[in-house]
Amino acid sequence: MAGREAVRKAVQQVRPILSVDREEARKRALNLYKAWYRQIPYIVMDYDIPKSVEECRAKLREEFERHRNVTDVRVVDMLVIKGQMELKETVEIWKQKGHIMRYWKESQDPKPTDFLSKFLQGVN
Amino acid sequence: MAAIIRRIGCRAISNFAAKNVVAPKAVGAIRLSSTTPAPPAEDKPTFRKPNEAARLNLSNFGRYVAECLPKYVQKVQLTAGDELEVLIAPEGVVPVLQFLKDNHLAQFSNLVDIAGMDVPSRQYRFEVIYNLLSLRFNSRIRVKTYTDELTPLDSCNEVFKAANWYEREIWDMYGVFFANHPDLRRILTDYGFEGHPQRRDFPLSGYVELRYDDEKKRVVCEPLELAQEFRKFDLSAPWEQFPNFRNANPPAETVETKQETPKK
Amino acid sequence: MFRAPLTKVIQGRFGSPTHGITSKAIRSSAALSQTPAKAPEKIEVFVDDVSVKVLPGTTVLQACAVAGVEIPRFCYHERLSVAGNCRMCLVEVEKSPKPVAACAMPVMKGWRIKTNSEMTRKAREGVMEFLLMNHPLDCPICDQGGECDLQDQAMAFGSDRSRFTDINHTGKRAVEDKNFGPLVKGIMTRCIHCTRCVRFACEVAGVEDLGTTGRGNDMQIGTYVEKLFLSELSGNVIDLCPVGALTSKPYSFVARPWEIRKVSSIDVLDAVGSNIVVSTRTNEVLRIVPRENEDINEEWLADKSRFACDGLKRQRLVAPMVRMPNGELQAVEWEGALISVAKAIKDAKGAVAAIAGQLVDVESLVALKDLLNRNGGETLCTEQNFNVKGSGSDLRSNYVCNTTIADLEQADAVLLIGTNPRYEAPLINTRLRKSYINNEMDIASIGPKIDLSYNHQNLGEDAGLISQVCNGGHPFSKVLENAKKPAIVLGANVLERPDAAGIHTTVASYCKKLNKQGWNAFNVLQNNAGQTGALDVGYQPGTQAALKAQPKVLILLGADGGKVDREKLPKDCYVIYIGHHGDNGASIADAVLPGAAYTEKQAIYVNTEGRAQQTLAAVSPPGMAREDWKILRALSEILGTPLPYDNLDDLRNRIEDIAPHLVRFGKLESSTFGNLTEQLATSKSIENTKIDVKQKKLREYFMTDPISRASPTMARCVREVSGEEAKEESQRQAAC
Repeated sequence: MAGREAVRKAVQQVRPILSVDREEARKRALNLYKAWYRQIPYIVMDYDIPKSVEECRAKLREEFERHRNVTDVRVVDMLVIKGQMELKETVEIWKQKGHIMRYWKESQDPKPTDFLSKFLQGVN
Repeated sequence: MAAIIRRIGCRAISNFAAKNVVAPKAVGAIRLSSTTPAPPAEDKPTFRKPNEAARLNLSNFGRYVAECLPKYVQKVQLTAGDELEVLIAPEGVVPVLQFLKDNHLAQFSNLVDIAGMDVPSRQYRFEVIYNLLSLRFNSRIRVKTYTDELTPLDSCNEVFKAANWYEREIWDMYGVFFANHPDLRRILTDYGFEGHPQRRDFPLSGYVELRYDDEKKRVVCEPLELAQEFRKFDLSAPWEQFPNFRNANPPAETVETKQETPKK
Repeated sequence: MFRAPLTKVIQGRFGSPTHGITSKAIRSSAALSQTPAKAPEKIEVFVDDVSVKVLPGTTVLQACAVAGVEIPRFCYHERLSVAGNCRMCLVEVEKSPKPVAACAMPVMKGWRIKTNSEMTRKAREGVMEFLLMNHPLDCPICDQGGECDLQDQAMAFGSDRSRFTDINHTGKRAVEDKNFGPLVKGIMTRCIHCTRCVRFACEVAGVEDLGTTGRGNDMQIGTYVEKLFLSELSGNVIDLCPVGALTSKPYSFVARPWEIRKVSSIDVLDAVGSNIVVSTRTNEVLRIVPRENEDINEEWLADKSRFACDGLKRQRLVAPMVRMPNGELQAVEWEGALISVAKAIKDAKGAVAAIAGQLVDVESLVALKDLLNRNGGETLCTEQNFNVKGSGSDLRSNYVCNTTIADLEQADAVLLIGTNPRYEAPLINTRLRKSYINNEMDIASIGPKIDLSYNHQNLGEDAGLISQVCNGGHPFSKVLENAKKPAIVLGANVLERPDAAGIHTTVASYCKKLNKQGWNAFNVLQNNAGQTGALDVGYQPGTQAALKAQPKVLILLGADGGKVDREKLPKDCYVIYIGHHGDNGASIADAVLPGAAYTEKQAIYVNTEGRAQQTLAAVSPPGMAREDWKILRALSEILGTPLPYDNLDDLRNRIEDIAPHLVRFGKLESSTFGNLTEQLATSKSIENTKIDVKQKKLREYFMTDPISRASPTMARCVREVSGEEAKEESQRQAAC
């Protein structure tokens, strides 16, 4: 217990980026998700990308799921900040079509993961 | 400019290592007991000799700053002979800069540059360096503070409007977050670029490469595959190349501020 | 190019961590003999007003190095005798009227050495001006450019202009180029007469081929009469030469030092395990130079290890191959090859045997053993025989150099049995030679008459002499028994004889009598890099077991020695070859799986003294070749018995479970149980037949393994050396 107390103290001493607790960070992440979600139809239209709204929403979910196991409030905040910046870049049409299509990594072949296919492909 | 500061950091470390070998204090002691007269001052010095009066002035001013802002100033030092540096706690960025700008004895009204430095081995790996210029007194001062990847620094945009883009650059290159910045977004990297290129752990060649795809009729982004091998130039020689610089100005001398540094 | 400041060497920041260079403070050069019995009092000198305490007899240059000041020099080299003829190391000493040569002058108490004073600088500039007066300005076409001592020192210590401006009519000195042989290129106009190469040839290599003729401005380095520089260590003069006078012939005009990548690795072409630096560019090995390791190769490297690297690009297996019904090997994809190999192994139902060759690393040995054991095979052998019954290869002290390479330097009586260390392990021979010079070592050999580059007593060729010596009935037994540090070196080839067990036991029990506290006299000199490691992980020595088992499937892991052929195997035997060169093994195989050579994998090798070291991958394997252990791992998965390691770390953990000493790189584990050898021995009988060694002449040295057999440079060496040796022979006959 004493150890946990010390940890909490240490955590409290660091300066928060935006959120003071996990709940707030969660809210921010959800807000960001919602904002992206609402913008997706306009993005699809504005950039004229060869993807449907559903595909984009699946990709959005995938990108958020990638950071599912992040628990540190400050890391969550940092990711939310970067996500917001990215959303702004997208919505203001500072980006171009290629930048949006980068999320799908279409021209990349997936890397093999098990030993044998890695061996046969000659990677690792 | 950030890159240059990075390089200076490396040199400072290597200079420090060299100092251990030569032990300059012992040199002085033995010179005194030597029977030969002291050699005449060299007329063509290979490194700049700082003016003693200027040094005194600077260290006095450094002491004054430390006395005025005991809460924030952790250390005052002179580097490369006659460059005043004030090392402050990260909370003190705005008050210290405000003080240096508005104090009548200082009037550092010009923010020349903000630079970053990354030393991954440190607890607070980033150093943020503010270079100020006082046109009134024809004097420069350097303010340094530290932070890590997740601790935000206060933006000094309110004090110096020039800080806006500099801080955006630091954010883009190092990933240091500036709280209360009016328009913090990327400035040099491409939209969608991931990572902060000036961090030490960011490879020189980057992670991705871009090319125009003829089929898709647009630029695509792929993981890096270098056609030519990365070339590392090994230019070391066993001989000491610049023996004249053996006794160059020490990289940093602390100015005694006659007060206890606040303990963390 | 091996260039490290003496400062670093002395402060122990460089080289092998295990060897106490730091404690010795100063490395004893050939002139300074062993460290004295009790350390005399240190004397104090001042280098640039910094006080330094050094042993008496230390030279000014070494004292400066202790203080961290590197004195420029050309002729001085810490492993050669002091010549003092380049004058570059002149420094001012207070109260001395003229500058002193730092490399030759011992320090006196209280001396004040000034390494950067006006007089010192002027002296250096003057010397440099004289050197450059006759040195051609051909740096742009010189191979030494970028790693040239003269370049660097001219930049650091020379004047920025010359006063020799009226040379338009006289020109610079020009010297005729000499032909030093297929390895060393001599452009003698560039020579600055430091005589490092001459001293190396006389003192270390032991061939008095090089020397100086003429004097003053007409002095030349050469071979007196026109002949080749015949030595197995000739490549080292390239490293020693401070300018571009002696450069590497195969490497000429290939690359600049600043554009190559350097990877520290281990040499495997002999059993010494020399430390090397592999220089690569664009995934191609360009050259190999030595790396310092006091315990093994000091800073030298044998010619085969240095120059055979072009064999890594020839005759390589680049794709898996399977023998088609028409009897031809055809390149296939990995998948197909692995499936057909797996099918053969499955069909064999445990009648599988394996033979490991001479360049095999420990990782693939362990993987192969695990793979076979999972598939019912138990017969794993090495190609090199080690015909010792009883304790045999079970006890480590039976097959390693127990004295250790570095300690052989201290031996004062050595008996060589059926070995020619000069060509089997040239860097062990330099140790013996050093001992011969410094300790007046008595050395005798049983075997054919050979030239070891130093005087030794040849006792005869008869194997019966071994028991004679070991019974104490031979005059040389007295020498061995009276010696403080005796050593007996058994060649690996002797232990291939049918009566090897008898020889081994006789010698081992005699050595037990010779052993002193902390000194083990018994040595087996292996002649290939894979053998010690294979015996360490439990392979049986010799191919007999594999052939006797009449296997349905035989796996040759880099076995290229030509000891297995189709006649000795059952007709339907399916032979799988895993290795990197298309040599003897691949030619008899039904399936060929291309592996990686030693510069292409991170792998453990154990040298002849039992020291495990690892190579690092400098380039990637060519074509579809893969690292050997990965081939075995992939094969195991197709066989349905996957090996439990997917990466090198897991495999190393497995190796640590089997033999922990194999992953303690660079360290030497002393062998225990050495005393049991005699109790476990079965016979002591020795047949009275002649003992032979395989490599008697220099021309037999160059091609001993698949890499050097594929190397065009080595082929050229064999051609030119045979010609030279034939010429010498005819001259000798004409003189008679």
